[in-house]
Amino acid sequence: MAREIQSGEYELGAHRTLLQEFWRNFRRNKLSLIGGIIVLFYAVLAVLAPLIAPYDPIKQFDAPRGMRNPMPPLSHDVDGHLFLLGTDKFGRDILSRAIYGTRTLLQVAVGSISIAMLIGVAMGALAGYKAGTWVDELLMRAVDIMLSFPSLVLAIALVGAFGIGKIRIGPFTVSNIVKIMLVIAITYSPRFARVTRAVVLQEMAKDYVAAARITGASGARILLAEILPNTIPPIIVQASLMMATTILTTSSLSFLGLGLQPPRPSLGLMLNEARDYLFWGAWWYAVVPGGLITLAILGFNLLGDGLRDALDPRQARRRR
Amino acid sequence: MRAYLIKRLFFGVLTLLVTSFLIFLLLRVIPGGPVDSLIEEEWDDPVLREQLRHELGLDLPLHLQYARWLGKVLRGDLGVSLVLYQGEPVGRIILARFGVTAQLALLALSIALAVAFPAGIVSALWRDRLPDHLFRLLALGGISTPNFFLGIALIVAFGVGLGRSWGVGGYVPFGEDPWGWLLHLLLPAVVLGTDHAATISRMLRASMLEAAGREFVLTARAMGVPRGEIVVRDVLRTAMIPVVTVIGNSAGALLDGAVITEVLFRLPGLGSLLVQGVYARDLPLVQAVVVIAVGIRIVVNLIVDLTYGFLDPRIRYGGER
Repeated sequence: MAREIQSGEYELGAHRTLLQEFWRNFRRNKLSLIGGIIVLFYAVLAVLAPLIAPYDPIKQFDAPRGMRNPMPPLSHDVDGHLFLLGTDKFGRDILSRAIYGTRTLLQVAVGSISIAMLIGVAMGALAGYKAGTWVDELLMRAVDIMLSFPSLVLAIALVGAFGIGKIRIGPFTVSNIVKIMLVIAITYSPRFARVTRAVVLQEMAKDYVAAARITGASGARILLAEILPNTIPPIIVQASLMMATTILTTSSLSFLGLGLQPPRPSLGLMLNEARDYLFWGAWWYAVVPGGLITLAILGFNLLGDGLRDALDPRQARRRR
Repeated sequence: MRAYLIKRLFFGVLTLLVTSFLIFLLLRVIPGGPVDSLIEEEWDDPVLREQLRHELGLDLPLHLQYARWLGKVLRGDLGVSLVLYQGEPVGRIILARFGVTAQLALLALSIALAVAFPAGIVSALWRDRLPDHLFRLLALGGISTPNFFLGIALIVAFGVGLGRSWGVGGYVPFGEDPWGWLLHLLLPAVVLGTDHAATISRMLRASMLEAAGREFVLTARAMGVPRGEIVVRDVLRTAMIPVVTVIGNSAGALLDGAVITEVLFRLPGLGSLLVQGVYARDLPLVQAVVVIAVGIRIVVNLIVDLTYGFLDPRIRYGGER
C-alpha cells in the first residue's frame, strides 16, 4: 500500500474488487493453489468420465489362458484389450471403474453438501436472527443433540433405519444414491447451522443492520437481503472443508458395504473387494481407488484451508 | 462446582433420553421393520405376522413401546437380539464386545498422544525449518488418508511384504497371550490413531506458538529463565487448553474410526457389531449400540470439560465466584 501511495496510484490500488483482493490473498499460498488444481482435476475427471474412460465400467473381460482375474496393470485380455491399471475380480477394467467411481463419489459429495447447506443455513440463519428466543433455543438444542452422535455411527444408524438399497415410501421410490445423499446431509447439516448462526449473530450487531431497520425494512428483508450475503464467505470455507469430510464418510459407507451397491462403480466398494486379494499380491486393486480417495480429500483440505486464509485474513494470522 | 456437575449430568441424561427416543422412532417408522427381517418369504402369512407383531410388542402405540423399552433398560435389560444372535440378550453381547473396542481406542489414543506431543513441540520450536515442514507434510498425509486405505496399505506392507502375521485380523485376549494381543491390536491402533495424531500435533504447534508470543513469556525471557524451563512451564502449560479440546474431540470420534478399523481387521468390537447388526436388520441390537455410542461420547465430553478446571484454575464452572 505504502508504495502505491508514493507512486500516485493509490486510487487504482484501492479500487481492487473483492474478487481481485481474494485472488491476491489466495495465490500467495502455494499449498492452496495445489489444492485448487487437484480439485479442478477431479472436476474434469467427473464431468468428462464417459469421454476419458477407455471401457464400459461394468463390462467383464475374460483373462487369457494361464492368467486369471484380477489381472495386473498393462495386461491384455483374450481379444487384445489393454488394461492400463489391471482388472478387478470380475475382469472389469480398473481404470474405467476408478474414473466412473470418482464421478459417483463427487456426485454424492456435492449433492449431500448442497442439501446439508440448504438445511443448515436455513436453521442457523433463523436461530441467529431470533437469537435468545425459544426458536433459537429449540433449533440449537436440536443441533446439539445431532452433534452428540458420532457422525459415522449416525450415518450407519440412518442407513440401518432406511435399509440398504433403495427405499419405497408409499408410491415414492427413493434411489439408493439419493438416500445416501440424504443420510449424509442429515448428518452434517448441524455444522452448517452452527457456522451460519455465529456469523449472523456477528453481523446483526453491525451498523448497516441498524440502518436497514431504521429505514423500515422488514425482518425477512434484513435477513435475506442484508445479512445473508455476508455469511457466504465463511459458509464457502465450511463447504470446502466439509467436502473432504463427506468424501471420507461416503467412501467409508461404501467400504462397509452400506453405501453404493454393486455393480455401480464406487471407489469405497472397490477397496472393500480388494481386501480379499491383498494376500494374492493384487496391490493395484486397492492402490488405485485408495489413492484417488486420498488425493481428493487432500485437495479439498488444502483448498479449504487456502480459502479460509484468503477470505478471513484475521483468523489466518492467528492460525499461523 | 457441584451445581455445575449436577447440571451437566442432568443435560447429559436428557440428551441420552432424546437421542434414544429419536433412534427408537427412526428404526420403527420404516415400513416392515423387525417383522420383515424375521419372516422368510415362503412362510409369509398375515396371521403369523400379526402374532409376531404382538409378541414383539409392535402392536402397541409408539410411546408405550418406548416406555416399555426404557423401563427395561433402566432395569439393565437392553432387549434381545432378533436376528444376528437369535434370542441372546443384547446387554451380554455388547458387554463381551465393549472391552475390545475400549482397548483398541485407548491404545490408539496413547499412540496418537505419544506421536503428537514430540511432533508438535519440535514443529513449534523449529518453526518454518526442516522438521516443521516435514511434520506438516506428514500431518497432511495423515489427515487425508482414509482409515481403511491406511489399514490396507499397512496390511500389504507388514503382512504381505514382510510375511509377518501382523494385521491378519482377529483378537487374542491379553491374559491368554500378551504378545499375540499386541500383534493383533497394534496395526489397528496405529491406523485408528494416525489422523488424531496429526490433528493433535498441529493444534499443539499452533497454540504453543500463540502462547510463546504472550507477554509473560517475554518477561520470563527477560528475567533470564532458561529456555527449556520456559517451554515446559510457561508455553506448554498455557498451550494445553485448546489441545485438550482437540484431544477430547478425538476421543469422541474414536468410535467412528473404530467401526472401520474393526471391520477391516476383523476385530470383535462394538463397531463391527453395529455394521453386522445393520446388515442383518437386527433392530434391538443396532438401537442399543447407537445409544451406547452416544452415551460414551457424552461422558467423554464431560471429562474434557472438567479437565479445563485442572489446567487453568481461573476457569470456574457455572458462574461461581
